Amino acid sequence: MADYTRRDFIRIGAGAGAALAALPMLPEGLLAVPNPDLAVARNGAPGLLVRKAVEAIGGMGRFVKKGQTVLLKPNMGWDRLPEQAANTNPEAVAEVVRMCLEAGASRVRVLDRTCNEPRRCYMRSGIEKAAKAAGAEVRHIVDSRFQDLAISGGELLTSWPVYRDALESDVIINMPIAKHHNISGVTLSFKNLMGLLGGDRGALHNHFMTKIVDINMAIRPSLTIIDAWRIMLRNGPTGGSLADVAEKQLFIASADRVAADAWAMGLFNIDPNTVEYLRIAAKRGLGQLDLKRVKIQEINLGV
Amino acid sequence: MMITLRRISQLLFLSLFVLLFFQARFPYEAWLPADLFLRASPLVALTVMIASRAFIASTILALIVLALTIPLGRFFCGWVCPLGTIIDGSDHLIRRKRRPARQRDPLTWRSWKFFLLAALLVAALFSTQFIWFFDPIALLTRTFTTVLHPAFSFLLGGLFNAAFGLHLFEDQVYSLYDAAQAGGLMPVQQPRLYENMAIALIFAAILGLGMVSRRFWCRNLCPLGALLGIFSKYRLTRRHVSAACTKCSICQRECKMNAIEDDYSINNTVECIECAECVSVCKPRAVSYTIGRSRGENRIDLSRRRLLQASAAGAAGLMLFKTAAAGRIRKGQALRPPGALTEPQFLDRCIRCQECVKICATTGACLQPALTEAGIEGLWSPVSVPREGYCEYSCNLCGQVCPTGAIQPLTLAQKQKSRMGTAYFDKTRCIPWYRQEDCLVCEEHCPLPDKAIKFDIREARGPDGSMRTVKFPYVVEDLCIGCGICENKCPVVGAPGIFLTAAREIRLAEPGKSGLKGT
Repeated sequence: MADYTRRDFIRIGAGAGAALAALPMLPEGLLAVPNPDLAVARNGAPGLLVRKAVEAIGGMGRFVKKGQTVLLKPNMGWDRLPEQAANTNPEAVAEVVRMCLEAGASRVRVLDRTCNEPRRCYMRSGIEKAAKAAGAEVRHIVDSRFQDLAISGGELLTSWPVYRDALESDVIINMPIAKHHNISGVTLSFKNLMGLLGGDRGALHNHFMTKIVDINMAIRPSLTIIDAWRIMLRNGPTGGSLADVAEKQLFIASADRVAADAWAMGLFNIDPNTVEYLRIAAKRGLGQLDLKRVKIQEINLGV
Repeated sequence: MMITLRRISQLLFLSLFVLLFFQARFPYEAWLPADLFLRASPLVALTVMIASRAFIASTILALIVLALTIPLGRFFCGWVCPLGTIIDGSDHLIRRKRRPARQRDPLTWRSWKFFLLAALLVAALFSTQFIWFFDPIALLTRTFTTVLHPAFSFLLGGLFNAAFGLHLFEDQVYSLYDAAQAGGLMPVQQPRLYENMAIALIFAAILGLGMVSRRFWCRNLCPLGALLGIFSKYRLTRRHVSAACTKCSICQRECKMNAIEDDYSINNTVECIECAECVSVCKPRAVSYTIGRSRGENRIDLSRRRLLQASAAGAAGLMLFKTAAAGRIRKGQALRPPGALTEPQFLDRCIRCQECVKICATTGACLQPALTEAGIEGLWSPVSVPREGYCEYSCNLCGQVCPTGAIQPLTLAQKQKSRMGTAYFDKTRCIPWYRQEDCLVCEEHCPLPDKAIKFDIREARGPDGSMRTVKFPYVVEDLCIGCGICENKCPVVGAPGIFLTAAREIRLAEPGKSGLKGT
C-alpha cells in the first residue's frame, strides 16, 4: 500500500505530468507544480476515494508530520446505521486513520460528543470497530475533559467549553458527512465541530450562523474531508429512511474549510454565496468562498 | 459440611443475581434472561396470574420452584433468595456479640406474613395487585436499580474523575473507564432516579430489623416465605434429633428462623428454611436430616378470625385504591413505555421491579419510578419523563426484560410505531414563538424518517422591533410517536417549550386478546 501511495501521489501532484511520473524518487519539495486548494475524488470505494482526494492536495504528509498526535473528528452523533448516511462513512474514517499512521502520526484519536446515547452511536455507526481495526484510539467523551476556551474574535461567544483533545492534539482533521439540516440548510464541516463542544449545545441554536463561526474561530482543523459518498437529502440531520439518501460516491478534501463547505453546497443545489455562515466565515478570513478563485482538481476513478 | 454447601449456594446465587442485574444493559446480549430471578418467584407468578387472569408462560420457573418446595422445604429462602443472603450478611454484622438466650420477637409475629399473604391474594382476586411492594425479589431488584447501582456508579465515576485528574497513566485509566462503562457497571449517564430515598429507607428498615431478631423480614413479614411455608408443610425431608441431644438449647438460640420448639427435637417445618445451622452448632452431633415426612410441629399460626380480618383488610385497601381520584391531569401526562398493556392490565402485572428502568438507564434513560404521576395505584410503576431522558428510537429493550409481560416485547419495527404519547408546543416558552428567533433543536433531533416536527417560514417582528424571517415549528400529530427527545433536548431552561402528554398513546391488549388499543 505504501509504495503505491507515494507513486500515485506524485502522479497526481504533477497533474498531467507524465514525465514526473517517471521520477518517483524526487523529493516533494522539488516538485514544480503546486498542490490544488481542493480536490474532489469520484466513483470508487470510500477508502480509495478519500485517499485519492487527500493525495491530490499534497498527501497526508502535508498535514501530519512524524510523531504528531492527530484528532480525527468524524460525525458519529446518531444512533444510525452507515447506509442511513447520518454518520461519516466508517470505511473512509478507517482509511484516514491509516493514512495518518502511514504519515508517521504517533497517535490518532477518534471521538465525538454524540446526540443519541454514545455507546449506541459509536457501535451502530460502525466507526468504532472500523477505526479501532485501523489503529486509532476510539475514545468516549469523559465529562471532566472539557475546558473553557477563550474565543478571540468571537462575535457572540467569548468562550466555550471545548474537549481537551482538541486543544492538545497537534493536528485536527475534520471529517463530516454532507447532510440536509433545517437550521443551516446543509450540515458540513463548520457544524461538525460542535461534536467537540461541551456545555449546553442547544443554546447555540439561536443566532446559530454567527455562533458556529465563532466556534470555528477557536478550533482550527488543518484538514477538512467531506464525506459525500452517501449524502442525506431530506429529513436531516437524523434521516432514517433510505429514500432520503443519495449515493454520490464522492469525497472532498481541502485545507480550506470554507471552500470545502462551499463546494459541497453544490451537491444540494445551494449557491454557497447565499449561505449566511459561509459569508460570515469568509469575511472573517477563515477561507475562500469564491470557488472561481479556488484551484480545484477533480479525479474520476470511474472512467 | 451442609452449612458450607449452603453458604456457597447463597453466594453463588447472590453473585448470579448481581451479574444478571448488570446484564440488563445495551447491548442486551442475554446468555440468561436478566429477569431470571423475578421469573422464579412463585409469589409473583401466582399473584400476577390471579390478578390478570392470564397464564404467563415466562414465569414457568416459579412453578418449578414451588414444586421443588414440596420435597425440599423452604430451600429457596435458605439457599437461593438473594435478599435472604443479604439479610444474613447484615445480621452477621449487626450481631457480632453473643446472642441472647431468648429471641426477642414473639412467636405470634410469625403469623403476620400469612395475614399479609391472605390480604394480598384477596386483593389480587379483585384485580388489585399489590404484591409488588412485598415480593423480596422485586423489592431487591428495585433497591439495586434505584439505590445501590446509582450509588455504586457515582462512587466509581468519582474515583475515575480523581484518577483522570492526576494525569498519570491516562491510557490505562481510560481503558478501565471504558471497560466499566461497556460492562454496565457505570452507565454513560449517571443514573438519577426518583423515589430512591423512599426505596432506600425501606431497604434500610428491612436490614435494621435484624437488630430485633435475625431474619426478621423472613420470619415475620415476607409473603413469599409464607407461600413457600405452606407448601413446605408437606415436605419430604425431616430434621432428626438423636438421643445424644443434651438439651443445651444452642440449636434453638442459633436458629435463624426461631423454628425450633422448646422440646429441641421438634421444629416447625413451615418456618424452617433448611439452613442447617442447627446441624453444625450441635456439639454432640445429635442433629441430622433424613428422608421422610416430618412428625414435627408444622402448625401455621392462623386463627380463622384473624384470616378473615386480613382478608377484610385486603378488600378495604383495594377499595381505597379503586376509588382514588381519577387525577386526569397527571395521568394524562404519564407516558408508559412502548409495548405497555392497557392501564388496568398493566397495573395487574407490573411488579415495580424496575428492570425496565435499569436497562433504560443505559440507553435513553427516560424511565423513572412514578410517585403519583400515574395515580396512587401506579406508585413506583415506570413512566417516561422526557425532561430527564428520552425513548431511544432504535431501542426496544424495556419489553425484553419485563418479567411479567406488563411491557410486551416488541420488534424494533413494532416499537417504532408504538406511540407513547404526543408532543405539543408551549408557545409562551418556545423560542421561535415567544421571541421570534430561530431554534429548531427539537426538529433537529426528531428521529422519525418523516419528521413529526415541521415548520413554517414567516416574517415576524422581533422584540427589538425589527422584521426578520423566522422558522416557526409545529407538530404533525399523526407522525409523532411520543419518544420525547424534543422535550428532552429543548434548550429552554426549566419547563420546556415542547412537552409530551399521553394523548393518542397506543396500549397493547393482553396477548391472546386481539389488536392494538388506542386511548
